Amino acid sequence: MVDPQKILDGLGGDANIVDLEPCITRLRVEVEDPAQVNESMLKAAGAIAVMKSGSVVQVIVGMQADTIAADIEDLR
Amino acid sequence: MSADITVVAPVTGTVITMAEVPDPVFSAELVGPGLAIDPDPVLGRDVRSPIDGTVVKLHPHAFVVQAADGRGVLVHLGINTVQLDGQGFSLTVAEGDQVAAGQVLIQWDIEAIAETGRSVICPVVALDAKPDAIDLHAAPGSHVTSESTLLEWGA
Repeated sequence: MVDPQKILDGLGGDANIVDLEPCITRLRVEVEDPAQVNESMLKAAGAIAVMKSGSVVQVIVGMQADTIAADIEDLR
Repeated sequence: MSADITVVAPVTGTVITMAEVPDPVFSAELVGPGLAIDPDPVLGRDVRSPIDGTVVKLHPHAFVVQAADGRGVLVHLGINTVQLDGQGFSLTVAEGDQVAAGQVLIQWDIEAIAETGRSVICPVVALDAKPDAIDLHAAPGSHVTSESTLLEWGA
């Protein structure tokens, strides 16, 4: 299971998130500072993979991406 | 007991391997194995269900149809097309609808989307499938329509 709080922490917390959008199997996140994104923390939280490209981070979580995104929004 | 799932081509076009998809998540088959289609700009406008089942996820640019046994097939229309916010896509079904393989679910304006600079390649993914459960029927480079079997997904 993916832990939404740990995903949020791994992304550098609420303050670091500009935009977060689920897309079926992945969370597409625009961050303020990519250096604050902790890949190993995201993987420990249940992410299958993490792709970084500039200020956009894609966290691959599988089919439950929509649910996880809603849980993260609740925590913010 | 579940049966083999026959996955037909959701759009008319040319088959390419998943490795050729210009997206690291799909090309590494992180969410599952499959094949991709480079759609015909005109004949590929109708997007059809790849299997019989229920539309469990529906975005303008991507959807998942789930078979009765729970296995799901993801079709993604183009790469980074989530950023278009649905522009260029019109839906003919709703989430939760029962659909048959070959039924039109979405129509999209391939030329307009290509003009935004995005790839219109369509990955077709057997979600969470073991690679050895997938039998690829369509050869890369071959032309497919919704009458064509892309792959068989063994039980």
